[in-house]
Amino acid sequence: MADAAFLALTVITIGSAIAALELRSLIYGSIALMGTLGGIAGFFFLLDAPFVALFQLAVYVGSIAVLILFTVMLVKRELIFKKIEDKRRKFAGIGLMMVVMVALGAVFLDSGIKTITTDEPPVDFRDIGTDFVTYYWPALILMGLILAGSVTGALVLAKREDVENDQRTN
Amino acid sequence: MSALAPKFKLSEFIKSILDNAFWILFIVSLIGLPLIQILLFYIEMPIIDGELLTPFLAMTWLADPTRSLPILKAFMATDMFRVMAFPGFGFAALIAAATIFVERKMLAKLQLRVGPFYCGKIEGILQLAGDGLKLISKEIIIPAKADKPIFWAAPVIFVATAAAFVALIPVAPGWVVADVDLGLLGVFAVIGFFPIITILSAWSANSKFPFIGGIRALFQMVSFEIPLILSLLGVVILTGTLNLSEIAASQSSFPWIVFLPVGAIVFFITMLAELERIPFDLPEAESEIVAGWLTEFSGMMYGLVQLGTYLKLYAFAGLFVVLFLGGWNGPMVVPPFPEELLTGVEMGPLTVGPFPGLPLFDQEMLNGTLWFVLKTVGVIFFILLPRGVFPRIRIDMLLSLGWTKLIGLAFVNIFIALGLLYAGVLGPGGLQ
Repeated sequence: MADAAFLALTVITIGSAIAALELRSLIYGSIALMGTLGGIAGFFFLLDAPFVALFQLAVYVGSIAVLILFTVMLVKRELIFKKIEDKRRKFAGIGLMMVVMVALGAVFLDSGIKTITTDEPPVDFRDIGTDFVTYYWPALILMGLILAGSVTGALVLAKREDVENDQRTN
Repeated sequence: MSALAPKFKLSEFIKSILDNAFWILFIVSLIGLPLIQILLFYIEMPIIDGELLTPFLAMTWLADPTRSLPILKAFMATDMFRVMAFPGFGFAALIAAATIFVERKMLAKLQLRVGPFYCGKIEGILQLAGDGLKLISKEIIIPAKADKPIFWAAPVIFVATAAAFVALIPVAPGWVVADVDLGLLGVFAVIGFFPIITILSAWSANSKFPFIGGIRALFQMVSFEIPLILSLLGVVILTGTLNLSEIAASQSSFPWIVFLPVGAIVFFITMLAELERIPFDLPEAESEIVAGWLTEFSGMMYGLVQLGTYLKLYAFAGLFVVLFLGGWNGPMVVPPFPEELLTGVEMGPLTVGPFPGLPLFDQEMLNGTLWFVLKTVGVIFFILLPRGVFPRIRIDMLLSLGWTKLIGLAFVNIFIALGLLYAGVLGPGGLQ
């Protein structure tokens, strides 16, 4: 059962990644990118990490994809891209990708990662939280500061004073 | 008299129905019954309790409540029943349909109109069925330059996403379609899909009004998602769990709105914005941009989007109830069930009964559902109410409200929750 799900997810992820690169329509390309990101979320579900999977869905499919779609829709493709149909570059890219994949796969197979048992219970998110406030607290503080800074920055940007005019009296 | 059938006569209508019934009976008795008997000749029927299971015996069993009720009860324990009927789609669609009717009627009363009145004689009670029939029978018109695959898929995906949201809402103890440990995170993930569907359907229509509406919807939903998520963190901090059933169960003595009123208010306002309700209905502003991102939808595609919208409304109201109003918790008002509904009756040669009480639903579940529905209907009422009262606000006011005031208030709410937690008043080590 897990194998069938794994194969299906692999096909979805890799297929939509190729589609995202190859499709001429930018909108369909970004939809295919959503498929890739959703497939990766599916892999996290298979790996018993629902916490990461749901964040993958909420952040990447839900927000990043919206950002990409939004940008694509407001841009006229013909104005900024020139079509370069070059067969040799394409095959060179595919060959480079194959080399990298084979090398990475060899490293993984060599590292003995295939001996990991897969019947462990899913990681409880409370454990992640406990780890964050005990052992990894400096990372947590750093992340908190960065996030607080970015939220403050977003608030400051949203509250622009220079666009006030007579008609905009709140 | 309708224009479609100008020579309509009731007697001829009844005659045609009787004609059809006669011919159906005629064909069934001449062809259908022999066919069934030939089939039964070849099918080997099982022997149960030493008796051959003939069709007659099977019918007899179905008519006997002592035998058919357990079958019904076993069916109700299946996942299919949960998904299709009770805490899932059927229940939510029923509440959604009731919401549409109540909204039209209540809005009319607020504006001193009559509202739906003629359809169904009594206060237009059949108006909704009539509207549904009309939408199904209408032609679906696709704009010539629309992007057809996305345009076709968008309403279906919209309803599916809304149904996924509904599946996460617990209605009574143990009665939830998907009881996941990370239910609240699942809700956030599902909410994130709505802006994508909206903007894709708006773009695919290839028309100006839908696109403007879609862009507005995107702005509004994305900017209000952040205070929405932040306003719910207070509840998570105090309960220490993300499971919606556990969050509802943790409020047996008091609802969280008592301690986190700021979070509840922020969540309610963001809910109005996510649902595109007045005063935040800029994506559908009918006086400015026709019908916003719904402009090009026609027929049942529009009906599907409408169904999805009201399913989403129910799901958000249910989420508010589960998180802040105590979910299914409430005083027990349902009386206990008797062992036997009817004692046996003897009439000459016939002996009927005794019929078992055999409650199809237990007392706790009925009580929980009652309180959940009451609270949800109350929240839905407060979601509908602003439509008769408020005007629409400007987009810049909306965005500044979302990005400055609501996020600030959500942080205030988180600090209240943290204060309660560290003071030892509430939370995992406190009163609970």
